[in-house]
Amino acid sequence: MIYRLHHATSYDYAEPVVLGTHFMHLMPRERPGQFIRESQLAITPAPELRRDETDHFGNVTTTVSLTLPHRQFVVALSATVDVAQPAPPRADFSPCWEEISNAALRRAEIAEFALPSPLATPTAEILALATEFFPSGEPIIAGLIALNRKIFQLMTYRGGVTNTATTAAQVVKGRVGVCQDYAHLMIAVLRAIGLPARYVSGYLRTLPIEGVEKRRGADQSHAWCSAWAGDAIGWVDFDPTNNLLVHDEHVTLAWGRDFQDVSPLRGIILGGGRHTLRVNVDLDPVLT
Amino acid sequence: MHAVTTSDELIDRSGRLRTPWVPVMEAFRAIGQEEMSRRAAALNRQVRLAAPFGAVTSHHYDPLPAPLTASEFAVLEAGVRQRAHLLNVLLEDLYGPQTILHENLLPPALVLGKPHFIRAMRTRRPLLGPRLALYAADLIRGPDGKFLVLQDYTGIIPGLGHALTLRRLAATTIPELFRAGGLRSLRPAREMLVDHLQRGAENGLIAVLSAGASSLAYAPDMMDDALLARALGALLIEPGDVAARNGALHIKTLSGLLHIATMIRGLSGIELDPLEQGGRPGAGIAGAFGAIRAGVLTMLNTPGSALIEDPDFAPLLEPVFQRLVGEAPLLAPAFGDPLLLASKAPFVNGAGLSSIPLSFRLYAWHDGAGWQVLPGGLAFALDAKSGPAAMKDIWVLDADEPQFYAGAAAVEPPERLPFLPAAHLPSRVADNLFWLGRSAERLEAAARLLMLALPRLESGTSLPRDVAERALIARCLAQARLIPAELASGAMSGKFLRQTLARRKPFAGLVKEVARLLNAASERLSPSMLATVQLALDQVEDALVPNEETALPAILGFAATFAGIAAENMSRDGGWLFLEMGRRLERGEILAETLAILLDAAPDRLEPGLALGIELADSVLSYDLRHAGILAPAPVLAMILADTGNPRSLNFQCTALRWSLERLGADDDAESARLLQTEAVSLAGRVTELATPLATIAARLRMLSDRVQRRFFTLLPEAHQLEDEEIISPP
Repeated sequence: MIYRLHHATSYDYAEPVVLGTHFMHLMPRERPGQFIRESQLAITPAPELRRDETDHFGNVTTTVSLTLPHRQFVVALSATVDVAQPAPPRADFSPCWEEISNAALRRAEIAEFALPSPLATPTAEILALATEFFPSGEPIIAGLIALNRKIFQLMTYRGGVTNTATTAAQVVKGRVGVCQDYAHLMIAVLRAIGLPARYVSGYLRTLPIEGVEKRRGADQSHAWCSAWAGDAIGWVDFDPTNNLLVHDEHVTLAWGRDFQDVSPLRGIILGGGRHTLRVNVDLDPVLT
Repeated sequence: MHAVTTSDELIDRSGRLRTPWVPVMEAFRAIGQEEMSRRAAALNRQVRLAAPFGAVTSHHYDPLPAPLTASEFAVLEAGVRQRAHLLNVLLEDLYGPQTILHENLLPPALVLGKPHFIRAMRTRRPLLGPRLALYAADLIRGPDGKFLVLQDYTGIIPGLGHALTLRRLAATTIPELFRAGGLRSLRPAREMLVDHLQRGAENGLIAVLSAGASSLAYAPDMMDDALLARALGALLIEPGDVAARNGALHIKTLSGLLHIATMIRGLSGIELDPLEQGGRPGAGIAGAFGAIRAGVLTMLNTPGSALIEDPDFAPLLEPVFQRLVGEAPLLAPAFGDPLLLASKAPFVNGAGLSSIPLSFRLYAWHDGAGWQVLPGGLAFALDAKSGPAAMKDIWVLDADEPQFYAGAAAVEPPERLPFLPAAHLPSRVADNLFWLGRSAERLEAAARLLMLALPRLESGTSLPRDVAERALIARCLAQARLIPAELASGAMSGKFLRQTLARRKPFAGLVKEVARLLNAASERLSPSMLATVQLALDQVEDALVPNEETALPAILGFAATFAGIAAENMSRDGGWLFLEMGRRLERGEILAETLAILLDAAPDRLEPGLALGIELADSVLSYDLRHAGILAPAPVLAMILADTGNPRSLNFQCTALRWSLERLGADDDAESARLLQTEAVSLAGRVTELATPLATIAARLRMLSDRVQRRFFTLLPEAHQLEDEEIISPP
């Protein structure tokens, strides 16, 4: 599936900002099953300095510095992305989860995703969920599918209750939140038994089908969980917010251990006063 | 198993004094027990004075050195040099291709799970300089005489400032120790380090980044940072002094933003860059990581380098070193309790000498070509249960002729670091000095006023002249905020003034403010200046305890000391100019305000005010000499308003302000000062209606003070974090 993606973020400041420095994870990365045909990040006003770099996780980062007074700051991403995540193998053919957790800690590029991170650290309560879905010898994919469904059922989707600093430990108690809280909880559950899981930020396509419930997080920035299922299968993405297996309706932006590693837009500004934020996301299939 | 017996630094196995200790112990015997304790105390006092006195050190200096022979040092030098090289190669790998993790020579989970693995510092290409450029190691001499590594330091390098300072201080306190020849000098090494830093910095500045007095951030030893900055001729800065512009770091100085090329890091790399790591903007330097990755900033050491000083790694390093450089480490790690392994050496205590296990901390730096090891360092007593750890100077003794120090060839004759001119003065320091000048002057003026007021208020006659005089004094006291304004009247009595002082303690507050600013500005005052000023201030603080009134002579003593130091011991650079402006603005303002009160009378009633005015301006003697004591308005006004030779006249303050502002290139503000000069001179020619123009002059001085602050201290709005808190939200 080919998508045309537009994501505009604009800050309107009550007072002029005399100096702004911003650090962004807003350029989509490539991955198996995702090919970037074209992507551009336009910054207004034109920054005095711009650096595009690749971070530790292989994500694209952009740093900009604005040194002239401005009242508005706009970041506009437009990209054409080709998405086709391979379908995971049948659950009963996948290796058992113990095999995966044993292999994980010895793998340089995998190990850190099995370790606790600031927002996705297991607790006793989280471990209890893990042992429920991963009994001894359970095939990894079967356990992941069941856990994905469980988190979807356990949680209530509601905005404004949590924020970007909410931890999985808080989520498992409150059982309410938005997509990033769903993702953090699933990641922490997997890490509780040494399974590698990462946080993926990106976008989800809306399906405007009559009579079908509109998917939450659609045409918005979205986040989900990616789990490692061993060398043969690799990383498989799950969307616990929608009880979905990621296939060709999700566009990946960046990944990390949790939200903090891939915060889409951070900034340090001087001046500015109060600000209002507007975000517009459009993800449309390109007809071929 | 045999019981392990530790070795002794002082005495060899046959019971003989080891060679390097012979001259040391001879000097110790010659000086004598008691005298040595006194010298030790004096040495430690010197250290405290050598640093900003807000800085608390967690160490104390032991006067006896830890001498090593040239051959012992050669072994250590080779081992430290190799280890520094190996650790740097390891860091470059862990923050680059991670071969070591892919090959499982270090457990990936161990490395990647450490908080000091700072992902933002992982790059595809090497950075501008080595990630490890300063290194230190604590070593002990084991039972078999071999040196073992106790601890690596690859992040913040603790004690380098002390190591470069201790000997200079000890040489003046205990010169007898230094009579024996053959002691290898630290100076060539230090100069090579400075030259290397300057070559690397090109036209940028070199700075030591410290937590700052007001910070809550983890800072092991601010005194060390201050000593290091001094030893290297670098700026001592705090995160708040630094601003990122166009991807590079700059320091806010009086002449604007100046580029910082090299920063020696005294702060943890965790939470150093709020832009990339989150956290409070003021606590770190937003944009530091990007500047390092882009090669426009060199940080010694690179954030994240502390990763490999973690004790978990030491036992695992041997195969890593073999893999990375094909060498076995020359120095083995110490396993077991260092207290049971380490050799002992004598430390001076109150009662004599005690033999205590010790560690040797050696320092190394990369000079662009290879690693250099400081021929010295610090030795630490290992038994410190609580309280400050004792610390010794490590000596390297050459048996025969002096050794030549080999290092990177100097490309060109090293340019001496020029004395930092006004332009490089951090705005924060200028700000502190300015207010120090103001507050010291305010303290002095309040003391002078009280000295004048107390005896006059005591004489309780009801003669109209005395009542008028008391009313004037009371208004002046209220103006100086020494008494509440509503109580200022001719009925004011000495007893009442004493009671008010006892209750409100205004001087305690003024002294506290002076002490705070002195502390904040102490990096710009020399150790001897600080010692003198601090002593005088201590006396004031002691004198204030029983009674504020009896402290007045001590306060005037402090004021004279402070003014004398500023006049005779400070070079007229940027720092002094701000101290001077603060003092002149405050003195001018107080004088104008006070005279506006004292001269607020009809011409025939001016006499009491004139008498008080001339006394407050400390000009009685000169006036009597010049005018035979006959009080007349015109000569009095000439002396306290217009006289350019009287350091307490209004014109003198305005002239001094104008001169300082001209030196700082603030031409428009200098012009304002010139107009005030003219005004002061012209006022001296009139006898009536002086109060209003004097109050106007005071107001204009206040405005000038505001302009100076805005112009030089650039009070930018505080930076704040912009987080995309609402980006992920339900439709």
